[in-house]
Parts: sequence; structure tokens; C-alpha cells
Amino acid sequence: MTRSHAVQAVLLIAALALPAWAGPYWVHVGAIAWYYALLASSWALLAGYAGQFSFAHVAFAALGGYASALLSLHFGIPPGIGVVAGIVLAMVAGALIGWLVLRLTGPYLALFTLALSEIFRLMLVAEQQLTRGSLGLQVPGWFGGESDRPYYYFGLSLLVAALLLMAGLLRTRVGLFLRAIRDDEGAARAAGVNTTLYKILVFVVTSGLAGLAGTYYGPFVGILTPSMVILPEMGLVIAMAVIGGIESLPGAAVGAVIVYGLSELTREYGQWRFVLLGLALILVQRFAQNGIFAVLERPLLRPPAVEAERGRG
Amino acid sequence: MDYFALLAINGLVIGLIYALMAAGLTLIFSVLKVVNFGHGTLYMLGGYASYYAITYLGVPPPAGVVLAMVALFAFGVVFERLVLHPMYTNKVERKDEYAIIVTFGLTVLLLNLGIVVFGPFSKSPPPFLAGALIAGPLIITYDRLIAAIAAIVLLSALSWFLARTSLGQALDAVSQSRESAAVIGINPRRMYTVAFGLGSALAAGAGALIAPIFALSPNMGELPAVQAFIIIVLGGMGSVGGSIVGGILLGVVEGLGVGFFPDPNRALAYTEAFGALLLVFTLLVRPTGLFGRPHARLE
Repeated sequence: MTRSHAVQAVLLIAALALPAWAGPYWVHVGAIAWYYALLASSWALLAGYAGQFSFAHVAFAALGGYASALLSLHFGIPPGIGVVAGIVLAMVAGALIGWLVLRLTGPYLALFTLALSEIFRLMLVAEQQLTRGSLGLQVPGWFGGESDRPYYYFGLSLLVAALLLMAGLLRTRVGLFLRAIRDDEGAARAAGVNTTLYKILVFVVTSGLAGLAGTYYGPFVGILTPSMVILPEMGLVIAMAVIGGIESLPGAAVGAVIVYGLSELTREYGQWRFVLLGLALILVQRFAQNGIFAVLERPLLRPPAVEAERGRG
Repeated sequence: MDYFALLAINGLVIGLIYALMAAGLTLIFSVLKVVNFGHGTLYMLGGYASYYAITYLGVPPPAGVVLAMVALFAFGVVFERLVLHPMYTNKVERKDEYAIIVTFGLTVLLLNLGIVVFGPFSKSPPPFLAGALIAGPLIITYDRLIAAIAAIVLLSALSWFLARTSLGQALDAVSQSRESAAVIGINPRRMYTVAFGLGSALAAGAGALIAPIFALSPNMGELPAVQAFIIIVLGGMGSVGGSIVGGILLGVVEGLGVGFFPDPNRALAYTEAFGALLLVFTLLVRPTGLFGRPHARLE
């Protein structure tokens, strides 16, 4: 695992150094990539670790973003408190959804969250006097000036903090409980795991992180629109997490950055990029279910794994 | 009154097309226990397959529909063999998620491939039969009439096939119990392939029948796919009769929902939400009742 940590440290240093040599365009791309990385890694915790395959993750991001923006706009609440309120609202909504879907699994859960997210999107479109509908809600920026660098570094620190928080959570017994629920809920309950509590907990944590991503995205991009919640957007997050590795939170985050970066790099190919994305999603799932990094890392990590095996024997 | 009768008949035609799509989705779910998130794009491909067969191969429109169904049957068989097949082995640990991801990936792939290959602009195939049937105050274009009759014929043929032929009964057996079916000598894996092919062919048939009525576009399958999901949840998975009932129920709820909503402007914006709300409500109240009966029977 130390090599894996070393890889992560190198990636972090590269991310920190990028604005020093890349132009403002790539700083902008990077700042958006952190949004997707936050969503993909928290969705990986929800779907990959806890087995709750939700299509509503981007809806929580929109909920957090819209709530914090509307609170600042209508009640003059300072942005900092608005952000906290947006995240708390996303967590409360997450708890509610988590409680509602306790009895639903697999495709039932997917259809349920898909429908909920559609209803939420249509509400954002229809309630024009509040959300300005498809025109989009203007959100004032946090940092003055033209540069995207403050957002770049802020987004990166949010991502790192979120990854550390989730890794910390998984290192406790909760991580084991979540995987137990995913693999066999009945057996987990029989073994004394409070499955109700932990299923709701994972929804609360991941929805809060999605809400955080939304509160960051709004002020950075300057506008929130209902198209944040369309199915292709959720599909993008799912593809990022699956390609990066649905059972590895850093993998999902790196997958998001790579997928988003590549899609920007190959902008001239237009729609073909999404054809390739769909193909990549099917192929990765078919041949490398733990994501491309698990395949790439395998030769890197094998020697220590073998030693560990010997040590145990 | 005449206006409402006309609306009702047009609604019925579209409802039958949706029922045809939902029947394919139901067939795939009951045999494979997989919700095909790519169903809408198979419907889209069916519409385009028929269009190209008619305009480039010069076959008559009804033959175009049949060709589209045959082509998508083949596509479904190949996809099932290549991509879904590992699900039945121990290679795949979490089968539900695997199925959602690959069928959803199929949607991303085909939708965008459709935009690249077919172009984002809509195309219209020639009508089956030009003109309209005029019965008193009612005017129905022959295309709608033919689509409705063809849908009824296909749904009846499906019911007959499932109930009366040995292959259909084998599919039914697998849908009830894989193990028991295997014990009496039915190869479940072959049935999975057949069911996915048939389900794809039904979606293609629906798409090809709707093509002369509405124009073809790469994203034409999105709304019907959502409707089909709602219908199968409402009507009960694994029941062709249920998908017809579900289709009608959906039409009624959407119509009444808009009618009863106080603010007409917002009511229009919420039309699609009523169906989604119906799905959410059904899943909450009867999460296994209507949806996943342990012995899902194909009627």
C-alpha cells in the first residue's frame, strides 16, 4: 500500500504544481475537474462500497448549490453560512432518501432515485419565480478578480479533505459494515450490524459531500441551471467512477480528472468523445471491474502483496 | 366531445406503442432479472433501421419494420452473448450493478453514435399508407391505425408465443426458477439470449412503427424508455397484460394530474413529473408487490 500512497502523493504534488506551468485555460478545466472528482469519489463510496446504486447524486449537488445560492440571494446570509446550510440541507435530504429506500435494492433503487432526480429537475425548471428555471440562477463569485487559481486551490483542498474524511470513515468499523451490507445485507443484520443506521449514514455522508461539490460549483461557474441534474450528467459521474475504479475512492477521483481532462483535450472530436466514453464504460465493466488503475497497478503492487502473503504464512 | 374522443384515440395508439416497448422490457426483466437501461436506444435503432431499409434498400414499409426487428434481434443476441454473459458466471460479483452499468453504457454509446452517424436532425420515413380514415367526426391517419393494429398483433403474438409454444414455455419456466428449469433440461443461458433478443426486437418494432408518425431523432427513445420503466413498475414486472394496464394507468394519471393542478403554466412543466411520482409512490408502497413477484409469470 505504501507504493499506492506514493503514487497519490506524486499526483497531489502534480496537481499543486499545475498552475505554475499550465495556462489559465487548464486551471479552469482543473477547477471543474475537482467538482466531478468530488462527485465521482463520493458516489463510489455510496455505490461501490455500500452498494447503494443511486442515480440521484447530481441532484444532491444541485440541491446544495441552489440552496446556498438562494439563501444568500433572498435572505442576505453570508456565503459561508449559506454553504453550510446548503450542505446540511443536502445531508437532511440524504437521510430522508436513505430512509425511504431502506427496502429497495439493485435496479429498484436505481429506478427510484432516477425518478426522484427527474422530479427534482422538473421542479427546478418549473418553479421559475424561485430558481429562474432554465435561464439559470446567477451566483456571485467568492473570490474577486479574473483568475481561477483561488478556485483551483480551494476545490483541490476540498477534494483532498473529502477523500481524507471518507478514507478515515472507511478505516473505522463503518467501512467493514458498509461492505458487509453490500455483499449480503441479511447476513450483516444477522451478525449484529445495524444495517438501517449505516445505510442512512452513508447516504447522509455522500449527499453532504455532493452538496459541498454543488456549493463550490455555483460560485465558481457563476450560474446554476437545471441541466446539472440531467441524466447524461449523472452518466458522466458514473462513467468516471467506474473507469477509475468504483471500489477505490482515490481511483474514482483520478478517473474523474482523467475523463474530464481527456474530454477537454479532445474537444474537436465533438460527439465521438461520448461514443468512446460509452464504449469505455462497457469495456471497463466487462474486463476490469475494479477500474483501469487496478489493472495498471497490479504489476506495481504485486511484489509487496506476495511478501505480505508470505509474512502471514 | 369529438375532440376528446380524438385525443383518446391518439393516446391509445401511443399507449399501445409504449406497451409494446414495456412488454420487451418486462420479458428481459422476468427472464434475466435485468432492467435494461438501454431499451430506449434499441427503440431508436429500430426506427432508423427501418428508415434505412425503406429508403436505401427500397423495401416496402411493412418489410422495413420486420427487417428492423430481425436486425435488432441479432443485435440483442450479440450484446447479450458478448457483454451480459459473464454475469451468469462467478466472474461478476455484483450482478445488479454490473447489469445497470453495462446497459446504461450501451445508452451512452448508442445515443452518441446515433448523433454522429444519423445526424442530430430528425428524419421522416415514408408513410405505410398515405391518407386518413374518416369516420364521422373522427379522423385517424392510416399510419396511426396501422401502428395500433400492428402493436396489437405483436402483443397478441407474444402472448400466444409465451403461452403455447415450447420455447415460450421454456422462457416462462426460466423466469419462474432458473434451477428448476435447468433440472428439467432447459438451458437457462440460451433462454437469456433468446429473451434479450426478443426484447430488443420488440423495442425495435415499436420504434419502427412510430417512425412515420413522429420523426426519427437520436434521442427519440428517452421519453418512451422512461414511460416504459414507469409502466412496468405500475403494471407488475413480468406481465404483458400488466404492461397494457400500466400504460393506460399512466396516461390517465398524467392527464388528470395536469387537469387538477391549480396553476396551468406549471402544470404543463410538471407533466413528466406525474409519471415519475407514480413510479416513486408505487415503489414505496409496494416495493416488491407490483414490481418483483417471486414467480413473475408471463401472461
